[in-house]
Amino acid sequence: MKLASDNFLQEASAALNAPEKVARRNLLGQFLPLARDSAASKYGDFDALRAHMKRVRRHTSEHLSHYLQQFEEAAVQHGNQVHFVADAEQLNSKVLSICQAHSARRVAKGKSMVTEETGLNELLLKAGLEVLETDLGEYIIQQAGETPSHIVGPAFHKSLAEIRQLFLDKHKLGERGLETASEVVEEARGILREQFLAADVGIIGANALVAEHGTSMLVTNEGNGDLCANLPPVLIVCTTFERLLPRAEDAMALQRLLVRSATGQPQTCYTSFYSGPRREDDPDGPLETHIILLDNKRSDILASDYREILDCIRCGACLNHCPIYIGVGGHPYGWVYPGPMGSVLTPLLTSLEQAHALPNACTSCGRCAEVCPANIPLPDLLRDLRQDESVQRIKPARWRHGLRLHAWLLRHPALYQRFTGWAMRLLGWLGKRRGAFRRMPFASGWTGQRDFPAPEGGGTFMGQYAARRRRGVRRG
Amino acid sequence: MAESARAQLLARLRAQETETEPEEIAHALAALGHAQAARAPHPDVHTAFLANILANQGTVELARDRGAAVQAIGRYLYQRFRTHKLVAGNDPRLAAMPWRDGGVLPRFGVAEAGDAAALSYAKLGVAETGAIVTFTGRANPGRNNLLPEDHLVLVNREDVVSTLEEAWVRIRQDTQAGSWPRGIQFIAGPSSTADVEAQLVLGAHGPRRWHVILVGDTPTSAVDAARESLATAPF
Repeated sequence: MKLASDNFLQEASAALNAPEKVARRNLLGQFLPLARDSAASKYGDFDALRAHMKRVRRHTSEHLSHYLQQFEEAAVQHGNQVHFVADAEQLNSKVLSICQAHSARRVAKGKSMVTEETGLNELLLKAGLEVLETDLGEYIIQQAGETPSHIVGPAFHKSLAEIRQLFLDKHKLGERGLETASEVVEEARGILREQFLAADVGIIGANALVAEHGTSMLVTNEGNGDLCANLPPVLIVCTTFERLLPRAEDAMALQRLLVRSATGQPQTCYTSFYSGPRREDDPDGPLETHIILLDNKRSDILASDYREILDCIRCGACLNHCPIYIGVGGHPYGWVYPGPMGSVLTPLLTSLEQAHALPNACTSCGRCAEVCPANIPLPDLLRDLRQDESVQRIKPARWRHGLRLHAWLLRHPALYQRFTGWAMRLLGWLGKRRGAFRRMPFASGWTGQRDFPAPEGGGTFMGQYAARRRRGVRRG
Repeated sequence: MAESARAQLLARLRAQETETEPEEIAHALAALGHAQAARAPHPDVHTAFLANILANQGTVELARDRGAAVQAIGRYLYQRFRTHKLVAGNDPRLAAMPWRDGGVLPRFGVAEAGDAAALSYAKLGVAETGAIVTFTGRANPGRNNLLPEDHLVLVNREDVVSTLEEAWVRIRQDTQAGSWPRGIQFIAGPSSTADVEAQLVLGAHGPRRWHVILVGDTPTSAVDAARESLATAPF
C-alpha cells in the first residue's frame, strides 16, 4: 500500500470537518470500549491473562530461531511448502508465481493485513488475475476503491446508506430495497458465495502459528477465511514470524485476549487450526498449501528498542480507545495500520522520515496502554519515536528550536516562573473584559473549536504557593 | 532467493539469542504453565456449556440417546425447511443411527452449494466458550461446517470438557496415532458479521443458524438453568 502519512495534519483537519462521520466515530468510541470492558470483566482476572501472555511472548522471542525451525519442520511434514521472503516485493512475486504455476484466474482472499502491507492485490490485478476480498468489510472498501480505516472493521467509516448506494451501483441486480444491514449482508453473501466456489486460489493470513504442530490459527466470525482455506484447490497463508507461539494452549490464551479486546466475544464463531493440504482419504480441502513467512524489517525491529511492538495481536483495542483515532478516523494515518499501534509500526516498517507525523498524533493519555492485551507500552514507544524524530532532525526546525527553548526554560525554574508570571498577567489584562479569547496567535487549532479562557488573576500556581507559604498557610 | 531469505532471517534471529539447549527451552516453557480459563456462567459444566452456546446466538436441545437425537433432528428439519433431507459426513457414529425411525433421509458425504442443512458429530464440546470441535476428513468434511444454511451438531455429554486447555489434551489424545487432521475447527455460533455499522447480522458467509444437540442423560431443567444463568449474570 502506498504511504501517505505525510499529509496527516491536513487529512486530520478535513476529517474533523465532516460532522456526520465524527458522530459515527464517537459512537464507535463509546460502544467498542464498553464491549471490551464487559468481556474483560466477565473473563475474570484479565490482567493476569495479559501478564501470562507477556511471559509466553518473551520466552518465544528469546528462542525464536528454535520455534521457527520447529514450526517449519512440522509444517513441511504436513505437506506444506514453506517460503521465507525478506520484503514486500518478494512476497508479492512469490504469490504471483504460485498463481501462475496453477494458471489461476480467480483469487479469493480472507482478511490479511500482511498483504495490505505489501500491496499484493495491486500486483495480482496488474498481472491479469481477478482478486476478490471476501471479508465483508474488505469487500465493501475494495468495491469503493478505498483503504481500510480500522484493522478489525475495515469499513467502519462507511454508513449503511453509503454501502447501500455502493451496492446499487456495483451489483446490477435491478430494483431492490437494501435498507437494512441484514439485506446488505444477504446480497454480499449471495455474490461472494459464487466467487468462493469458482476461486482457483485462496489466500488467508494467520492470527498465530503454533510451533509444536506446524499449524496456523485463523480467527474469524464471518467464516470467509475458512471458505478460502477449504474450497479453492490451492491455499496460500501469508504471515510473519512474530505470530509464532510454542503450544496450542498459548494460541488459545492469545485467542482469549484477542477476541475479548476486539469484539467482546469469548470466542469468535470460527477458530481454526490448519495444518496443510488434504490427507490421502480426505474428500475435500486444498490439494496444495503454501506458507509464506515475511520479514519486512521485523528482524530489525526485534533487534531494536521497539521490539515490544511485535507483540501486537491486531485486536484494534488501542484504536477504539484513542482520542486521536476516534477524532480523525483511520484514513489520515495514511497507511495500513492506524491508531497508536499504527503510529509505532508505520514509521518502523516504512521510514520515520515519511511517517514522522504519526508518533506526534498522541495526547499521552495512556488509554491505549491500559487496554492493550499484549501490554505494549505504546505511549513510551511513541515518545521514543518523537525523540528519534528530534535527534535525527526530522522534526521541523521551528518545532525543534521551540522545544529546545522550552527545555532550557524548564531547566531554569526561577526564570520559568518569572516568565510564566508575566505571560499570565499579560493574558489576564488582555482578556479581562470577555474572560476568554476567541482567537490567539499560534493557537488557531485550539481557538478554532473553542474559546481559550483568560487567567483569572491571582498569579501562577507556583506564585500562589510561594505566597501561601510566606503567610504560613500549609494546607488548604 | 527464498533459501537466502531463510538463512538470513535465522542468522539475524540467532545473533539476538543466547544459545540454549532444546531441553532447557522445553523446561523453561513448561515452567510458564498455562493461562486461567474464563469464569463459567454456571458451576455445572453442561449447564455452562449450554449457557455459552445460547450466548453465542446458537440454539440448544437435549436428547437422551441417539434415537431421541434422530427424532429431534427430524422435527428441526421439518419445522425449518419442510424437508427430511440432510447431509452428513461418513462418521461411523452417524451411519449407525436409526434414521428411518425419525423419518430423516441423510446423504453421507460432502456438502454442496445447495444443501440446506448439514449435521456434524462433534469430537468435543467446550463449556468455557460454548464451542464444539470438529476435525476435517471423511467423518466431517470441512465444507459441511461452512456451506449449508443450518449447521446441526451432535455432541456427547461425556465429550464436553470445561476449558480450552482440556480440549487440547483430548485433541492430542485423538491425534496420537500420527493422523493429524488437515483442519481442527472450534465453532462457536452461526457465521456472523458486524462490518455494516457495527450491527450484528447472523449468516455472513457460513451457516445462518447453529443448533447443538447434547446427547446423553442431561436433566431437562439444565436448559432453563442455562437461560437463567445468562439472565442473572452479575455483569
